[in-house]
Amino acid sequence: MDFVLMQLAGFGGAFWALAVDPLTYLYLISSVFLGIAFGALPGLTATLAVTILTGFFGNKIPLDYALIALLGAYVGAIYGGSYPSILLNIPGTAASAATAMDGYPLAKAGRGGEALGLTTTASFIGTVIGTFALLVFVWVLLLISQNIASPEKALLALFGILLSGTLMSEDLVIKGWISGLIGLAMAMVGLDPLLSEPRYTFGWSYLLSGFQVVPVLMGAFAVPQIIEGMRHVEAGKVLALKGRILPNLAAMKRYLPTIGRSGVIGTGVGALPGVGEDVAGWVSYGVGKSVSKEGHKFGKGSLEGLLSSETANNACIGGALIPLLVLGIPGSPPAAALMGAFKINNVIPGPTIDPEIILRVVAILVMASFTMFLMGLFTARIFIKILRLPQTIFLPIVMVLTTLGSFSVGGGINDLYLMLGVGAVAYLMNLMKYPIAPLVIGVILGGLFDETFRRSLFLSDGDLSVFVSRPGAAILLTLNIALIVAQIPAAKRLFARVKGAAA
Amino acid sequence: MGEIQFDTEAEIDITRARDFWGALVLIALSVFFLIKTFEIPLWGENRAGVSGGDWYNSAAIVPLFIFGSMLALSIVLLITAIRAGGGARAFSQIGLGWDRAEALRFATIGAMLLAYIGGLVPRVDFILCSGLLITALIYGFYGGHMLRAVAAATVMVVAGLFAFLVFPAQENWAAKGDDWVTLALFAGLTILVLRASQETRALRFVPLIAVTAPVVLVCAMAFGFRQNVPARGGLLFAQIEYHYYVTLRPLWKD
Repeated sequence: MDFVLMQLAGFGGAFWALAVDPLTYLYLISSVFLGIAFGALPGLTATLAVTILTGFFGNKIPLDYALIALLGAYVGAIYGGSYPSILLNIPGTAASAATAMDGYPLAKAGRGGEALGLTTTASFIGTVIGTFALLVFVWVLLLISQNIASPEKALLALFGILLSGTLMSEDLVIKGWISGLIGLAMAMVGLDPLLSEPRYTFGWSYLLSGFQVVPVLMGAFAVPQIIEGMRHVEAGKVLALKGRILPNLAAMKRYLPTIGRSGVIGTGVGALPGVGEDVAGWVSYGVGKSVSKEGHKFGKGSLEGLLSSETANNACIGGALIPLLVLGIPGSPPAAALMGAFKINNVIPGPTIDPEIILRVVAILVMASFTMFLMGLFTARIFIKILRLPQTIFLPIVMVLTTLGSFSVGGGINDLYLMLGVGAVAYLMNLMKYPIAPLVIGVILGGLFDETFRRSLFLSDGDLSVFVSRPGAAILLTLNIALIVAQIPAAKRLFARVKGAAA
Repeated sequence: MGEIQFDTEAEIDITRARDFWGALVLIALSVFFLIKTFEIPLWGENRAGVSGGDWYNSAAIVPLFIFGSMLALSIVLLITAIRAGGGARAFSQIGLGWDRAEALRFATIGAMLLAYIGGLVPRVDFILCSGLLITALIYGFYGGHMLRAVAAATVMVVAGLFAFLVFPAQENWAAKGDDWVTLALFAGLTILVLRASQETRALRFVPLIAVTAPVVLVCAMAFGFRQNVPARGGLLFAQIEYHYYVTLRPLWKD
């Protein structure tokens, strides 16, 4: 208990320091507004919002303000995705896909205002649950992580890439793994981290320093979105909003256990390396459907279904920051973009991170969730107007923003060529149903994997048993192998047979 | 392996046909990079005064694992695609899900982006080339008129090619000739947009968006965040920058 109180005191100090600075509100209000607008516009995602703002604010303003801008946009965009889900039946972001299942039927039944009021409140509570978990568990894990050595780090990085590849694939799982390997391969370009041996530079000096994170993020997330979105689509019919957007306190009280459970699920899924808010929303929705007494009403306008997905996707934000801050392994694609912002500010997330930064992140998340809550209740009609904007009008401006952001981070034209090249590859991968998130996670974790894997071998004189002789490493190796084996058809058949026999 | 969430069986068939070609490309790339990896010292070499005498010191170890795994997975993907009939369908346009309109859409957007990044951004004033891009993309794709898309892409390609071919070397990037050509094409395309706006009212706002958005963004980046922006000596931006520092800034600086 003392530990939790001490953490709360530290958080209080960080919160007060931010609260008395007028500039905080300027960045907070504008970034949350921008985030909700990004989330509300179908075709723009939370990852894209954080990526573009990383290019714009990443290393141009003090880190505290940059974090306010990026986290504000992150929280706002995950929540903003619920607007088109409820009023258009088109998820604004992948994270709010499950929200459409019950949100749209509710809006069609003339309960759109109530649905938006509930999602606003659920998103707020979800973010706070995830943030509280971040405040408490990050310190416990930080203490543990100080005992994590190179073999565990290498296997954890590999686990993050494999898990992301497994869970983010909409087609064959091996496509997710191949995507992760492409990302890892991209991270191998440049001077190697231990011997400074040039790899795959083809005599081009720009490549000696490797691929820069921000242009890769811009290319992977922005360019395919722009190419895909530049098509004529008849604007969906925005359902008329009936009723005031107010939190339904009676419903909140009734579904408090659902909100609590979804918050825990969202945080847990977020804490898994490389798995994002969309998975959190669906997992929570699925669990809610199977455990609820009203499970049969899910998909037909159930308030419980709506709360299950919306609480979880926002709770995922705090969860996704736990592995990022503790281990330097992003818990979701937007967290990967956030990692890019840390990197260009020369902050290395992981066991050696300045504890003050973690407290400030927590304080910013709480302030951002409050801002989001108030904006959701009082300015929702502005965001509803934004839903009517066609993609063909705003995506060209996003392209200009992306170009300018990418150029200004590195200050070179080569970064723009890299962005365009990665964008073309990512678009083709999308076309062939390869997930992009594992590629980005691979690029970000590739350097860590390379360095720690080789350092492990170096310190053990090439003895591969270093990956099984340490308990932590042995567990992680088992998890990696289990993850791969579980996807082999023969193993799947065997499991099914064993399960059938046991039943 | 894995869950399949497709709308139709036909979509799965098309994806497997594409997987066939995708796997072949991946196999070729894996083999190429494996060969390149073997150029990195693996056993016994000395580099930069550091002994690379043991295999586990080598910078090639992790890339070998990556490209070896990629080769293995690509072969599995190829076999999966062939077993699902993707190999047989991979040689027909219908099997691959070839859509002429979609290919043209991608080609026109690709040409515009390539002309913008490869030709215009390094050489031409950022406000002008971004204004041209915004105008071309909206004119080309709002409403889904393919003829307009081709016309807009042609304008972008002409501007990009002119800048690229006439001023290829970096020392000539500050020249203004390509800025004037881009301005002329921008003005020409804007006239087309305004003509089209008589039947499509939303297009009326395009010239305003095309000028305002780049001006606001580039000024915020250059003067707000004091960051480098592309083509600082461009036709318009050089004037804006001059008047910002010489005319405007002294007003509050003094």
